[in-house]
Formats: sequence, C-alpha cells, structure tokens
Amino acid sequence: MVDSVQAEPRSVSAAGEPAPTRSRWWPKRKLNSYTVAPLLMISINLVLFLLFFIWPAVIGLNYSFTSYTGVGPAPYVGLDNYERLVSDSAFYAALWRTLIYTGAVVPLTFVASLGTAYLLVSQHSKGKTVTRVVFFMPWLISPIIAGVIWRWLFGENFGLVNFVITELGGKALPWQSNANLSLIVVVIAATWMGTAFNMLLFVAALKNVPTSYYEAADLDGANAWQKFRRITLPAIAPTSFIVVLLSTLHTMKEYGLIFAINAGGPGTENNLIVQYIYTTGFRKAQIGYASAASFVLLLILVIIAVVQLLASRRKGS
Amino acid sequence: MAVASKPPALRRRKVGKKGDVPRSIGTSSIMWLLAVVYGLPLIWFLLSSFKPAGDLFSYPLTVFPKHWTVSGYTQAWTKFDVAQYFVNTLIVAVSATLLTIVASAAAGYALAKYNSWWLKIFAGCILLTTMLPGETILAPLFVVIRNIGLYNSLAGVVVPAVITATGTFMFRQFFVTVPNDLLEAARIDGSSELSTFIRIMLPLARPIVLTLAIFSFQWRWNDFLWPLIILNDPNQFTLQIGVASIVGAQNVNWSVLLGASVLSMLPLIAIYLVFQKYVMSADINAGLKD
Amino acid sequence: MAISATVRRGRLRWLSVGVIAALTLGACSSGDSDDSADVKNITFWYSTSAQDQGYIDLAKDFQAKTGISVEIVNLPNDGYQDKLKQAAQANALPDTASVPSLDTLWVNQLQDLSSIANNATNNINKDLITAQDSKVLAIPSDVTAAGLYINKSLFDKAKVAYPTDPSQTWTWDEFLAAADKVRTATKAKYDLVYDRSPARIRPWIYSHGGKGFQLGADGKFATPDAATVQAIDSFAKLNNDVIMPKSVWGAGADPNALFKSGQVVAYFSGVWQVADFAEGITNFEWASAPTPAQPVHATDINLGGKVVAFSNKGKVDAAKQWVDFIFERTNYTKLAQANGYLPIEKGLTLTYPFKKQAALDAFALYTKEIESADPISASGQANQTKLLLAGKSVDDALVKDEMGKLVNGQQDTQKTVDNIIAGLNQQIG
Repeated sequence: MVDSVQAEPRSVSAAGEPAPTRSRWWPKRKLNSYTVAPLLMISINLVLFLLFFIWPAVIGLNYSFTSYTGVGPAPYVGLDNYERLVSDSAFYAALWRTLIYTGAVVPLTFVASLGTAYLLVSQHSKGKTVTRVVFFMPWLISPIIAGVIWRWLFGENFGLVNFVITELGGKALPWQSNANLSLIVVVIAATWMGTAFNMLLFVAALKNVPTSYYEAADLDGANAWQKFRRITLPAIAPTSFIVVLLSTLHTMKEYGLIFAINAGGPGTENNLIVQYIYTTGFRKAQIGYASAASFVLLLILVIIAVVQLLASRRKGS
Repeated sequence: MAVASKPPALRRRKVGKKGDVPRSIGTSSIMWLLAVVYGLPLIWFLLSSFKPAGDLFSYPLTVFPKHWTVSGYTQAWTKFDVAQYFVNTLIVAVSATLLTIVASAAAGYALAKYNSWWLKIFAGCILLTTMLPGETILAPLFVVIRNIGLYNSLAGVVVPAVITATGTFMFRQFFVTVPNDLLEAARIDGSSELSTFIRIMLPLARPIVLTLAIFSFQWRWNDFLWPLIILNDPNQFTLQIGVASIVGAQNVNWSVLLGASVLSMLPLIAIYLVFQKYVMSADINAGLKD
Repeated sequence: MAISATVRRGRLRWLSVGVIAALTLGACSSGDSDDSADVKNITFWYSTSAQDQGYIDLAKDFQAKTGISVEIVNLPNDGYQDKLKQAAQANALPDTASVPSLDTLWVNQLQDLSSIANNATNNINKDLITAQDSKVLAIPSDVTAAGLYINKSLFDKAKVAYPTDPSQTWTWDEFLAAADKVRTATKAKYDLVYDRSPARIRPWIYSHGGKGFQLGADGKFATPDAATVQAIDSFAKLNNDVIMPKSVWGAGADPNALFKSGQVVAYFSGVWQVADFAEGITNFEWASAPTPAQPVHATDINLGGKVVAFSNKGKVDAAKQWVDFIFERTNYTKLAQANGYLPIEKGLTLTYPFKKQAALDAFALYTKEIESADPISASGQANQTKLLLAGKSVDDALVKDEMGKLVNGQQDTQKTVDNIIAGLNQQIG
C-alpha cells in the first residue's frame, strides 16, 4: 500500500489515529536504537561527504576570497571577486542562457521519459524487447561522441538534416550560425541522451503502483487518461519530484555535451554558466574568480532546490 | 490494511476485453515511432563506423556504407592496450558500483524511515553534492586525494565517486513507499534495525539496486578527466583514456574513433541487457497490498 | 529468484571485505617508487594520436646502449596539460616528456639542455629553442608550419594551373581568382575553408604585410599596425558563404570535414594534415600548394612537442642522457622519418615512409617553405614562449571568439582588434 505521496515521509498510525507531530507511534524504546542504527547506515556517505565534498569545497571557498592564479601565493582580496561577478555582464548572459536551456530541457525530458516508461510498462504495447534497448542506448554514449553525432546530423553545410531539407526542396537552416537554432539542437540532443535515465526511474515507480487501484478504477468505468491522471501521476509523485529536481540540477551544470556540439558558439552566445566558469577561471588562470562564480552557482541551485521542495510539499499536502 | 494474500502477481492478461486490439496497435505504434526517432542517430553512428575514412565526409551524404570495412575497429584494437584498459575499467566500475549500492541503499533507507533533525540536514547535505560542478571542484579534490595518498591508484579513482545523491534519493523515494507497518512488524518480532534493513528491506529494493547498478556502471565506465589526472601508470589506464588518445591535437582519425567508441560501449550494452530483464519484469508491489 | 537472506547477507559481507582488500592492494602496489639509487628506468610522457613507432624504437636502441629502459606513456591531448599541472603539485612529474607547452607551474624544475642544443654536430635550429638566461629549457621535437592544400582533382577538371615552387608563389588575389574559376567551372560549393585558430590567422596577416599581435617593449601586446587591421577586415569580408563559409569562423564548423567532402576547392591548414590526408582522402586527389604572398612570403612556424627533462631526484643524469640520445643526429633522423616530423635539425636528408606521392611532395614543399619564409613567421610562438617564461600564461582563444563576432557582423573590425588586445593584456595583468 502506498501510504505516502509526498516528498517527506509522514507517519500514519496503524489504528488510524492522527499522526503526532513527533514521529513515534511504536512503543517507545531506548533512544539509542534509533540514533545508532541510522547513524551507522549513513556512515559511509557521511565520511565520503566530509572527505570528498566538504574538504574540497572549503578549499575552493578559500580560493574564492583570493586572487589565486593556480601557482604561487594566494593573496587575500576579500569580497573583490564577488563584487566583480555581480557587475560582470558575461556572467549574467551565461546564467540567463543556462536558465532558458534548463527551462526547455527539463519539461521535455520529463515528458519523454515518462511517456517511454509508460509505454514500456503498458500491457498494450508489443515488441518491447527491442524498443527498451533502443531507448536506452543514447544514454550509454559519452557526451563527446553524442556531440559529434549531433554536430554531424545538424551540420550547417553537410549535415544530414540540411541535406534532407534541401532534397525536399527547402532551404538549409543555419543550425550552427544561429544561436537559437544551435541551442535547439543541444536541447534535442540533451533530451535524447537523458531520457533513458529518467525512464528507468519512472519504470520502477510505475511498477510500484498497485494493480488493485487500476482494477478498482476499471470497475468504475474510468478511461486510460483518467486512470493516468488520477492514479498514476499521484502515485509516482515522489519519483516525479526527484526526477525534476535532479534533472534541473544536472541540466544547470551542463558543459560536456554543449561544448562538444557547438563549443559554446556561435562566438560566445551559447556559453553556459559552467563553461563560463571554466574559461574564466581555469583557462585564464583566475582560480579565485572562478571559485567565486562556482559558489554563486551553488547558491542559485540551492534556491532552486528549496523552491521545488516547497512547491512539491504544498502540492502533496 | 490487511497483509495481502495475493501472490506477487503476474499481471493478469485481460483477454478478450473490448478495445484491446486497437489499443495495442495505437500504443505499439507510438512506441515504435519513438524508437525510430531515438534510434536513427544511433544507427547512423553505427553504420558510419563501418565506413572507410575517405567515405565519411563524402558528398552527397550516404547512410549506408558503400564499402563495408572493419578497418576502424582493427586499428582501434591495436591503437592502445585495449585488453588491459578494459580490465582496469572493469575493476573500477565493479568496485565503485558495489560500494555505491551499499552506501546509497543504507543512506536512502535511513533518510526514509527515520525522522531526526540531523537526518533531514544530512539529506540536504547529500543534495548539496550535486550543486557544485565537477570541473570546479577538480583541483581542490585533487589536493585532498594527494594528501590522503590515493594518487596514482585505482582506489583514487573509485573512492571519491561512491557518494551519489541520485542513488541515495532513488532508494529513499522507494523506501518511502514501503509501508511502515512492515518495519513495525519486524520490530515487534524483535529484529534489530540493521538486520531488518538487510534481511527484509533490501531484498524488496532489488529493482532499485539493479537500476542503480546500471547507472553507476555507466558513470564509471565513461569517466575520463578524473582517471586521466589521477593515474600515472599506463598499466592502470582506463578505456576512455585510450579512446581519447585517438583524438589528435589538430585532427581526428574519425574511423578509428568511431570504432573505438563502439567497442567501448559494448560492455555497457551487455550489462544493461542482463540487468534490465530483472528491472523490467520485476513486479514489485512492495510486499503489502490493500 | 529468491536468494536466502542469510546467504545474501553473508555474500554482501564478503563482497565488501573483498572489495576493500582489492582497493588497498591496488593503492599499495602502484605507489611511486622513491628509490633514488634505481636508475634502471625513466619515464617519457608524450601525446600523439598517430601510430608513432619513432620513440618506441629509439627507446629500444637506448636500452641496448645504456641498459636504462624508457617507459613511453602516450597521453590523450585533451587533458594532458592539466595532468602535468596536477602531477607537478603531487611531485609526480615524469623524468622526461614532450609537452605541448611549458607551464609556469613546473618550468623551474626543468634541466638545462644547452649542451645538447649547442652541440654543433646536431645542428639544431637555434631560433626555435626555448631559452631563458642562456639556459635551454626545451628543444622542440619537430617543426610545424601552416600551409595551403588544394583539391587537385577540381583544379585539373577546371584546367586551372597552380604554382608548385614556393619561390614562385602566387598572391592571394591570384589564388582567390583561380579558386573562383575552379569553383564556377566544377560547381563546387566554396573557394576556400580556413582553419579556425589564432595561430592560423597569422600567415594571412603577415603575408599582407601586417605585423600581427606583437609584444611591445613593456611586455604587453601593442596596438597593431594599420596593415594588420586591414588584413583582418579583408579576411572577415571573405566569409560570405560564397568564397568561404560563414559557419567555420562564425560558428565553429569543422573545415577539415568540409574539405574532405570534396566540395571545397582549397583548405588552409598546416603540415599535420598530411599524414591524415594520405590515408583519409580517397575520393579525390589533393596536393600542397605554396602559401600565397601579398607581398610578404610568410607562414606560421610553430613547434611540435617540446622535449624537456625534469630534475627528478636520482634520475637527473639518466633523463639528460635520453634527451641527448634523441637528438643525436642519426637517432633524430630515424625519429623524424618514423613519426613524419619536419626536422628541427638542419641539413638532414630524410626519406619519409609515406606511400602516397602527394604526401612526399607535400613534405618537400613544406621544408622549402620554412627555409624561405620571412623571419616574422616564427614570432607568434616566440611571443607565447616569452610570456610563459615571464610567468604569464596567456590563452589566445579569445581571438577566435572576437573574430567570430566580427564574421557574424556583431561588431566592426576596429572594435574586434581593440577587444583582442584588451583581452590578451588583461591576462598579462
């Protein structure tokens, strides 16, 4: 039985009493058992977290207050880097472009992965053995290779797509010279690559929905769409939430794929935020500045995550 | 909310239900259409790997090779020590995957089933790890690895990669849907928390375990920059380092690169084919039903 | 499919133990050997995507002669520079290497190679070595030069002639006129594609009489002369989708692929394409043509890998010996032939193992071009080296971005040039 459809676990008492604010409905035991056990369970992640995230992050944060160039001393400059960042138009341009990109990719990937998952789980579709492999393959490819494939497909001069368009009598589109068209190509490529991952998450979630619900709905005479909206969607809401959240975070950090497809071009019009950080910081040896930009990005992502969490909590309750 | 007596069911085929056949045709055709859209770039990529180098850029463009050749593959095979790199990558991928599953399952379960303020904070911390781009954290992370002494070893490639927010939350979201009644029943039976987790909860999560295994394997298999920086001894290089060495400073030997890329993808496909059977066919109604 | 829970738990336990054991072993067995008394082997890092047997064969000869074995490690180009940086920070630099460029981070750990560079029998081209305060820090393994390729089949089809001797080269105007003729006669798509790189634009500027982006007396980039601005302007105007496609300099399209499609009359790139073209172009005939001059006959002379020896404890002598061995005349001849290098040593007679005549002709042409090129041709790489030795790492990729904006009509030529100078100088600090 699925007893919770929110992002947070809520305790429900077996006897149907309203849940107490503190989550204890079982006979009170020694406090230890419920501190030691979970502590032990998170121990591996905790140690790794401290060692391989906090420690480097602190080092990085330190750099952000200096004008470190990667070699030699790291002179302290206080909030200089952050001030420079706030007035850097290239940073905002990159940030805005990244937001647009994310706004396009996340919904598209959500629909595509939920759709394919639904089709793969449904009893009505035949030939799933082959299609489930086909849907999964794009995700296996490394971003560099995917970049090459899509660059060739949408090449402006000798790409397959323009070739087909011209053969059919149309005019070749400037897939590389036009910043927006170029971004569209990346959006398509990113959706193509990212579908399988979310699809598997949705498949696991869809399979977890009890058939009894559907049977009950059938008895009530509900059609497929109603079943989907009223039963499936709410039942997979925890997974949906995590899919949207992780997709958003992952897409905001996009670098490899877009670099492989158009190198942030034409010119610098499709520079996304991580490429900006990489070029300013690591190429131009302004490690301090790049670290500051990274932490601003961290802050933005935290805000996005909190917003999504609040939104889903409100929807869930 | 009685414990169900229904066996982990096969979905009963409702044979002869009204509207079944048009339904099948409709759903199947949509699925096949999508499969074609997704598969076309791949097919083209695969076919291109069988074209000789001179034909790759010929105009007008061809989808099918005019002359089929495996020279790309044979050259890729001799370009670098494929067998050794393959073994190294396998070691990295398998050990990282095992550790990742253990760590993520345990942490995900803890986050789902226990309510403490510090667990909630920890959940936020785990999520935080996805918010710093890898390229940013590369140099400081290297400093840490060097100080610990894991430089130039496969362990240095594996250990930092074990923590994953995705994996932890996958398990968390799953365990959230497992009714607490099960946990309560186990407690009443006198089972300790850890043994409940290992004996009862973890087996329930098998599809998630296998899904995460597929993910983790792919992530480690396609890792490039970090193994390159950490490893000095060419006997420890991974497959992606070998593939990348085909890309020259000024030009690329495309047919060899395509061949090498396809070769390096084959093990991933094999893993997926083996595991997805369990993921797709598992009927996981979490043990308890209405 | 039920595995008994106890068995499963047991398995899990053993699995974790086994994995941890394996990792520990792995960590232990691959630690760097710190034994300073062991000079039996040294490491040599380099990066190549070709089937270079040159260094491997030399290493065998070296071991036969001195008993020291050289471990040759081929690293991918992408990330090689980063790896050297990190290796320097981990005190794990190789003993010797062929590096794409020096890095301020470890330049102070290089040995002085002047005895090898000044050795008269080697006859190394002194203009191209990296020296600082009479210390020679690096000796290039080979020389590279920019140059023009033409689609010979198209030229032959249109019955248009082209020069084959650099001393009787054509002007850019003559070349473009010829390419135009070929294009219209054969219905090709473009006259020319041009590599999108800051180094490649230099020959264009130099050959039109400009001095390009040079360092002033104050160590910063000086405002370029009018001829340079004029040259950049005329280059941008050529990107009109008739003569040259906008998509290359404007959006990063791959000119190499475009030329290989057989739809473009000519391609301005460099000597490193020869080996690739020899194998990779089978649908038409190609040839190297002399770089046009208008009026200056210049190209961009650059360096291939720079061979360096690090001062790693206990390996100092062995490292120097290996580098000495590489540049010894007969050995270097073997190396240059096997790897298809344009030689850094003067007066060698090389027989390259290329099977295609076009490749052999191309190499002969390039050798002549380098000899007769205007001295300004090497100034681009000299500037970069000067800056590096002064501790400044300058990345000139912004030239590509600014020129891209110019080609796309987003800014005018003067602004482009101003932005480039400002951007470069900002990195100097």
